Formats: sequence, structure tokens, C-alpha cells
Amino acid sequence: MKFLSKINRQYLIVISLLLFFVSILGYFTLKIILQKEMKEDIYEKEYAIIQEIKTENRLPNLYPIFETKRVVSIKKEPKSYQDIYLKDEAEDELEPYVEYTNTVEVDGEYYVIKIRHSLLENDDLIMAIALPLLLLLVLALIASFFMTKKLNKTLWKDFEENLRYLESFSFNDKKKLNLKDTGVLEFDKLNTTLEVLTDKLQSDYEVLKQFTENASHEIQTPLAIVLLNLEELLQIELPEQSFKQLHTAINGVKRLSSLNKSLILLSKIENKQFTNNQRVQMNDLVARRVQEFEPLLEQKKLKFSFVKSTNSFWIDINEELAEILINNLLSNAIKHNVQNGEISIEISEDSIQICNTGAPNSLDNDTIFNRFTKENSQSYGLGLAIAQQICGRNHLEIIYLKSDIHCFKITK
Amino acid sequence: MKILIVEDEKDMLFAMSNFLTKEQYICELADSFAAASEKIGIYQYDVILLDITLPDGNGLHLLQHIKKYNLQAGVIIISAKNSLDDKISGLDLGADDYMTKPFQLSELNSRIKAVLRRRKYEGSSMISFNEINIDTDGKELRVNKNKVKLTLKEYDILMYFMVNKNRVLTKEAIAEHLWDDNIDLADNFDFIYTHLNNIRRKIKAAGGQDYIRTIYGMGYKFTDE
Repeated sequence: MKFLSKINRQYLIVISLLLFFVSILGYFTLKIILQKEMKEDIYEKEYAIIQEIKTENRLPNLYPIFETKRVVSIKKEPKSYQDIYLKDEAEDELEPYVEYTNTVEVDGEYYVIKIRHSLLENDDLIMAIALPLLLLLVLALIASFFMTKKLNKTLWKDFEENLRYLESFSFNDKKKLNLKDTGVLEFDKLNTTLEVLTDKLQSDYEVLKQFTENASHEIQTPLAIVLLNLEELLQIELPEQSFKQLHTAINGVKRLSSLNKSLILLSKIENKQFTNNQRVQMNDLVARRVQEFEPLLEQKKLKFSFVKSTNSFWIDINEELAEILINNLLSNAIKHNVQNGEISIEISEDSIQICNTGAPNSLDNDTIFNRFTKENSQSYGLGLAIAQQICGRNHLEIIYLKSDIHCFKITK
Repeated sequence: MKILIVEDEKDMLFAMSNFLTKEQYICELADSFAAASEKIGIYQYDVILLDITLPDGNGLHLLQHIKKYNLQAGVIIISAKNSLDDKISGLDLGADDYMTKPFQLSELNSRIKAVLRRRKYEGSSMISFNEINIDTDGKELRVNKNKVKLTLKEYDILMYFMVNKNRVLTKEAIAEHLWDDNIDLADNFDFIYTHLNNIRRKIKAAGGQDYIRTIYGMGYKFTDE
């Protein structure tokens, strides 16, 4: 729920409750005042009737408003009020009245005076109070609706603009967070806090990135020292067992180093450190790469087919990355191939597809590009992750299609 | 041949200088930017191995010194960063080659020799081993005066052997020498074997001896011992 709607809802609930209590209070107050008025009115009428009897010696009667009767009884009845209902001939319904009965003595004679006062019906009274209040409530509702709408347009506009800006903010852009001034104290306070926070996060992020990069680079030097010394040991005449152990150790160090290089490459791609894109003609690039891989193709006796369309496939990319991309896909196609298998490459105007025969695997399009996902221990599981990163950063789509053969398709 | 090794990592420095001394080079060592720039200003070198990440300065700036005082020296940049940008700016500043850590000594040796050849040291462009002679200018192999035709890869392998004679070279080292860093060669290097057999066959056919010794099926050594 929107902030303003939430506030409005609370307001309306409170106002409704208040109005409810006010109307109850109003109802009883009004009732008391009306009763007081009524009594005064009755006394005035009684006084007037007594005067009439005294001066005019007439018994005034006006049904149903007042009645006067002479009585012989000297039993003086006390004053009494009584609620009664009388039939109203005009409206043909029972109307409530208060009947005042009193016995008075005028010049030694006794008279009973009945004065009736029409009562407002309770419903009428309630209506008289509730209606305006209800109207007030409706008006408040309508007013709050339009006010919310207007405030959303004005007051919240800058806030929402800032929100959209924040959503698209990335530390990789190395830009400072620059939020719009809203003129609202709370929002501006939030902006300042966010700006301070992101500044700190950004510098932390930079430090961490720098650290990872430096650490990765620094690892290469001790690896180089290990490798140089192991290589020198290899020059000594060694028994086969020791030679083999040394050889295994050397290959282990090399693996470590190449794994490290792959991680550095991944982080470099992620950090967009490959700039100077140029238009690269993929047809020739793929052909050149394939040539490099020829000994590996021959070794596995792979049947190779290469179909090129007449129109070349061009992409805007850093050429080094384009080479790495094709290298990774080619070595993947060779590595996971079977002896006497097949590799086919198809390049069209807007796509490259590299397919290879190979053992079935349990991977699919969602998992195959994950880092360190591997089906055998020969690889690190980084080649395809790198390929996907390269594609992602260069507005290319790469998908894995699995049928009886394995295919990777890159499209613009 | 006089070589200056600029490298701040002591273990690295000693490993390289031990090897190069054995290979009959005269080595001088500098473990900082300051020491290196002093040496470059005073002495003349044939080859300078330059680590560009030094604690007290960027090795790339040393290149400008070298171009000023040590023009005839060949420069091989040794970097922990496999960065094309560094490579390009290094080569633009006049370096002859760029190597990424970690590397193998046989590879370093081969690169140094290549730089020296390019700079026309060692008198001629001829490399010889008994009856085997290579003219590096024309990429031509002669065995007992008989011309032998090699493929490019076979020539590269033979050159690598000739430069690193009497050294054990693993098949991985040979494969890495032939293919650039960016290719993931997997664990299978048996295709090297095919190339070696071709070289052996061609040299024998021209009347040469087979100097390639296989070591436990894991490495090779080019030797007449």
C-alpha cells in the first residue's frame, strides 16, 4: 500500500470514529436542550391558559395541543409528564407527544389542564445529526482522494524518480550516486544517508576488487618460483618414479596458474576492463582459430565441417575477447568429444553454431554455464562461464541446445 | 652475453640467474627500480629481463631509460599480469617480447635467444648441432648439407630443442611453446608425439642422427650425450 493511502486510511478511520462519538453526544445534548425548551414552552402555555380562565372565564381548548376541564374533586393531582402516542389524522400515523397534566386552582375552582407537546421523532433527530456528519465524511474522503493523487504527482515525483535511479545504479559504473533534491526534509535526509552509504560501499567494493585482482596477480609470482625450481629439478637424472612425481607436481602448478588466470579473466570481463571494441568479422576469426586447433582435431580423428554463409557475421567486440570466446567453445567441443566424433560449425549472417558429438551429460542450458560446473575432471568448468560472460557483456546471446549432439549457438 | 635481470622477488631472481649463468650468460641483478635505473645508466647489456611491477616504480618507465642509455639491449618484459594493454604499451615502448608469469626456464631461454638473433648477435643467424644446421633467416634446415623440408610447427619444435639442448623438456612445455596462452589444451598432449616422429623421420632420411631422447614418456631431451 502506498504511504499516502496508508496515512489516509488511518485518518479516515479516526475521523469516522470521532464523528460517531460526536453524533452520539450531539444526539443526547440536543435531546436535553429540546426537553428544556419543551418544558418552558408548556409552562408559558399553562400560564396563558390560567390567565384566560381568570380574565375571560373561558376554558380554552385546542385539541390536541391543550385541553382544560373543570373538576369538582378537590383532590389535587400532582404535576405529571407522560409520553403518549396520538393518531395524526393528516398523516395517518402515530405521533409521539409529551402530555403534561396539572390541576390548578383559579378563584376557588379546580381545573385540570392537559398540554401536549409534539415530540420530534427519534429517527428524525438522528437523521438531523447524522446526515451532515455523513456528508462531512464523504466530502473528506473525496478530498483526501484528490489530495493523494495530487501529492503523488508532486511531492512523490522526485522521490520515485530517485527510486528508479537507485534501481539502475551499479557500482561497476564508478559513478557517484547523485540523487535529486526533493525539498522534503525526510526525503532529503534519506538521500544524504544513501549517498554517504553508497560512497562507502563503493570504496569498499573498489578496495575488495583491487584486493582480489592484486591477490590473483600476486599468486602468479610464487607459482612462477615453484615452477622454475621444479623445472630445474627435472634436469637431474632421476629414477622414473621421482620424475613422474615431479612431472605431476609441475602440471599441478600449471593447472593452478591457469585456473587463476581464468578467474582473473572472468573478473576483468565483469569489471568491463576490456574496452576498445571494434567490428570483428567472425568468419575469418573462426577459420583462423580452427587452424590452431587442427592438431587436436587430428589427434581425436574428428570429422570437421564448416559452413559459412555468403554474408559475414560481424560483431562489435574486443578482438582478444572474441578469440577467447571462440577458443573456449572450440576447446570445449574437442575436449568433450569422442574418438572419431564430429564437429560442425555453421556461421550465418547473425549467428554462430558450434556442435559436437559427445557423451550424454546431465547439464542443461541453465546449469552448463555455471562456474565450476563440470562433467569430468579434465576441465575447470570455467571455459563456458567465461564464454557466457563475454557474450553477456557484448549484447550476444549464447544458448546450449542438447539433442543427440551438443550445440552452442551465439546470436546477436 | 650480458644480461640484466630486474625483479623484486628474490627467489625468482636467483632461480633465473642460476639458470642463465649455467647457460653461459653473465648475469647482473637488480631488485628494485632504483637499482635497475642506476645499472642501466652505467653499464651496457645485451638483454634486459624486466619485471614491470616493482615496489618503487613502474617497470615501463625503465624502458624509457633503457631506450636512452642502453639502446642495443633487447628487452623482455616479465609480468604477473596477462594483460594485452600492458603488452601493447610495453611493445610500443620498444620492448622485444612480453612473458607472463609463471613461465618455464626453457621458454625464457628460447625467447632470449630469439631476441639475440633478431638483434644479430652470436655472429650469424645459423644455429648448429653436429650435422644439423638451421638458418633462422630463411627458416631452413640442412642435415649434412641436405635440405630438409619441415612444417612450421615442426620447425618451431626443432628450434626449441636446439636452443634448449641437453635440457629435459616436458611435452606440456613444448605444446605451450607452440600454442598461445589462450588455448586450453586439456590434459592430452599426445599430438606432440606425432610431430616429433615426423621430425625424427625427416632428419634420419637426410642422413642425420636422432638426438631426441624420450624420458619416461613424459618428457624429451635433445642431446648427443
